[in-house]
Amino acid sequence: MTAVVQATAPPTAPATTARRWRAALRRPMGLIGGGMLIIAVLTALAAPLLAPYDPYAPVRVSIQDIFQAPSGAHPLGTDDGGKDVLSSLIYGARVSLIVGFTAAAITTVVGGLIGIVAGYRGGRIGIGLMSITDFFLVIPEIALQIVIVAIAGQSLVNIILVIGLLGWATTARLVRSQTLSVRERKFVQRARAIGAGDAHILRRHVVPAVLPLMIANTVLVISLAILSESTLAFIGLGDPTVISWGQMLNFAFNRGAISAGAWWALIPPGLAIVWVVLGTTLLGTALEDALNPRLKRHHLEKDRSIAIPRSPAAPLARRAAGDPATVLAVRDLAIEFDSPSGPLRAVDGVSFDLRRGETLGLVGESGCGKTTTILGLLRLLPPGGRIVSGSVRYGDDDLLQLDPAEMREVRWSRLSLVFQGAMNALNPVRPVGDQVAEAIRVHERGIGRRGAARRAGEMLERVGIGRRRYGDYPHTYSGGMRQRAMIALALACRPDIVMADEPTTALDVMIQAQILELLAELGREMGMSVILVTHDLGVVAQTCDRVVVMYGGRVAEEADTARLFADPQHPYTQRLLASFPDLAHPGRRLQGIPGSPPRLDAMPSGCAFHPRCPFAFERCPAEVPPPFDLGDGRRASCFLVEQGAAARPSGPHLPEAPRG
Amino acid sequence: MAEPVAVVRDVEVAFPGRRSLLDVVRLRPSPPIRAVDGVSFEVAAGQMLAIVGESGSGKTTTANLLLGLLPPSAGRVELDGRDIADLGRRDLARLRRSVQMIFQDPYESLNPRMRVADVVAEPLRVHRVLGSEAEVRDRVREALGEAGMTPVEAYLHRLPFELSGGQRQRVAIAAALALRPKLLVADEPVSMLDVSIRADILNLLRALADDHGIAVVMITHDLSTVAAYADRIAVMYLGRIVEQGDARSVLSDPQHPYTRALRSVVPVPDPAARRAPQVLTGEMPDPSRIPSGCRFHPRCPLAFDRCLVEDPALRRAGPDHAAACLLVEPPAEGDPGA
Repeated sequence: MTAVVQATAPPTAPATTARRWRAALRRPMGLIGGGMLIIAVLTALAAPLLAPYDPYAPVRVSIQDIFQAPSGAHPLGTDDGGKDVLSSLIYGARVSLIVGFTAAAITTVVGGLIGIVAGYRGGRIGIGLMSITDFFLVIPEIALQIVIVAIAGQSLVNIILVIGLLGWATTARLVRSQTLSVRERKFVQRARAIGAGDAHILRRHVVPAVLPLMIANTVLVISLAILSESTLAFIGLGDPTVISWGQMLNFAFNRGAISAGAWWALIPPGLAIVWVVLGTTLLGTALEDALNPRLKRHHLEKDRSIAIPRSPAAPLARRAAGDPATVLAVRDLAIEFDSPSGPLRAVDGVSFDLRRGETLGLVGESGCGKTTTILGLLRLLPPGGRIVSGSVRYGDDDLLQLDPAEMREVRWSRLSLVFQGAMNALNPVRPVGDQVAEAIRVHERGIGRRGAARRAGEMLERVGIGRRRYGDYPHTYSGGMRQRAMIALALACRPDIVMADEPTTALDVMIQAQILELLAELGREMGMSVILVTHDLGVVAQTCDRVVVMYGGRVAEEADTARLFADPQHPYTQRLLASFPDLAHPGRRLQGIPGSPPRLDAMPSGCAFHPRCPFAFERCPAEVPPPFDLGDGRRASCFLVEQGAAARPSGPHLPEAPRG
Repeated sequence: MAEPVAVVRDVEVAFPGRRSLLDVVRLRPSPPIRAVDGVSFEVAAGQMLAIVGESGSGKTTTANLLLGLLPPSAGRVELDGRDIADLGRRDLARLRRSVQMIFQDPYESLNPRMRVADVVAEPLRVHRVLGSEAEVRDRVREALGEAGMTPVEAYLHRLPFELSGGQRQRVAIAAALALRPKLLVADEPVSMLDVSIRADILNLLRALADDHGIAVVMITHDLSTVAAYADRIAVMYLGRIVEQGDARSVLSDPQHPYTRALRSVVPVPDPAARRAPQVLTGEMPDPSRIPSGCRFHPRCPLAFDRCLVEDPALRRAGPDHAAACLLVEPPAEGDPGA
């Protein structure tokens, strides 16, 4: 479920292929690797120009010519045959690179084809192909290479074929897994529903998605092929008619370079191999990092994300402290996310109170900052997120001033969270009951294993799962059951405050009703306060006491539920209500709000709603409307309600709005 | 009523279930999973039919039947008066053009690498219905215009990530419209969209039915979103239609206890209307273990002894209204409405 991420992270452009390539090459690793490889390729191409001698030319050698130390005539000395080492080195680049590139090309073609067929076809053919692949993965490659080259003959072509045909298995695995994941994507299903055949789907959807990864892999395979060739040549199985770096090492080693002290015959080819292998590996790794987003970090990370100056005697938010019924007082909370174009403000000056035992609805469209607000309260912001100002008073503490260890104490035991996607929040490899028991044990150390297990069992019973499913794993639970387990987990320590983030969004209406009923019941029973984050105004009307409507990271309106629905003050609230379906008036066609919710990177100036507001006037784009107090705990941030008594607009034809 | 575009008659879809080792030893076939079990309905041109049900009710399987992606195990699926089982490959491909699908998730259902113009042109290229590239371009513009993506020029070369969710769904609709379909099957077309955007998409689908005479089958779990838009509603439970009829009639006077419960749990955005929703306990059973008699009886608040043994067929409950419940009393002949 990506909705949380969408709602909290600033909308960044998913990298297109071209952008990713550029990103890979901008990294130092990619830049250095690419540079090293280009130097090697240029050297190989310009070998006749660069090399002082032609190593393939027959020479007559005398004993003095052998293993000559470096000199003006031979900058890297001479080898066992009296040949110039520098020239052999330069020409050797040709062989190494030819072997590397051709073998990698063979590997990519064979592995890519097998991977795509296995991944796309699946079924028996897929399983069969993957068994063959697995077989090739486990055989000791180098040993087989030696045997085959020894039998087939030591020609360059044989060497290339052997390296290429034995190395495809890794590529096949990679391509298959990528193909499998693309095949399951919705846009492929859509293409199939259109009536597209396999050829079309492969050409237009699968191959473009798989290709970048294959290319990155090919670069890595080049370095492996070069290493393999060097190894074969070094142990005497190279093509004796060509000069490669491995061959140079082999000759120098076997013909007395060490006893002659001729380091110059050994070290340069060694370094050349290292140079090319390092260059291709760096480039390949950089490409793979940029193109293969395998391990994305989870969006909830530990808190290291507070940019408020800390002082032991920080002035707490005392403004609301007078009311003992208030359990949580949020004041001027502001949260920013890092982005390439500078910090983006996702939550901007949000203030509200939560009273004991009440259910507060936090309502708004995606990207309005509601999820970010509650994650901020719990100090569980995603990476790149930062609280830049504000206070969150809970009891005598400001949660934003606590040190991380103190915060951990409070989190979950006093303030807990029911996540949106229950499956992602439960550990798939541990029984559900154990996870509930663990949450209890972490926060109540004295309770012991038995006690925690008993309480966890009671909790499962209470949420309607039943003790007998204590030992079952999350995947055996249905969606509704998982959400019940999530609630058991959140309430296990009897917290004061539960924040529920779209707890029923992915569930069917009947299950949704069950879950909401359960939450309300447990809230009453345990005297908890609940913050319910939702976009569903129906759910709010039926379950919440008070509502905070958010738009563009700010509070648009706050009121008790009855008043908000009966007499909405903010134009956004009015339009939102008009767009929501109501079974009590089934004939009423819905009215959408023109435009779309604002993106963090393009937040409108002044009142964020002004581009979509039918009543907007000159002041709206210029100034941010502060919350105007309308009495009875009711606030609206709109210039039209200024002075508390300004006549409420009755229709979109409102003539001159009040000025200044 | 206009000619029906799609007719589904007594259709069953059964998948082979998992065989236990014992079954294999005894050479017994696996117990079938009946995803769809005797479903009949039809949609006419310009009409919007909502198929409402929870997950596991068989509504998505029904959609795949209409798209010809799944052969029925029994019964007939007729598109444009022809049984799809009788069609050869080529005719089937031609017929498929006239049925297009709109998916739930506009974030996932567009290839992130393809530009808007290519997404909309894809069905045209797949079916090679237009001769020249110029014709394809014209049709793409036309379809985008019909889907409300105006000015068209501003969107042609965008990539999906540059569009909002509502705009993406409009692109998906434009791609479906490019082939001039007679039937649109929309699977939860608005459930992933923001509330403020949903209305626009629903209004667009309604306009396509009204102005272009397209038959629309909307598949959803949410009665409230279809209330103002559908002409007819079919409520599915465990592979069967348990209630079907004129939308007004089904919503204002639901006859089947399941429909009543489903209607009562939809939260109404009116705090004054707090009422006791009829929350059913438990969840819909697995389609491999369909209860005996009336399949709803284990969860039905009104079940009595006959429900355990008798499997009720749809009974007439009004002029255009039927429900599969033993408690439904057919109205007397000539009874105006029910």
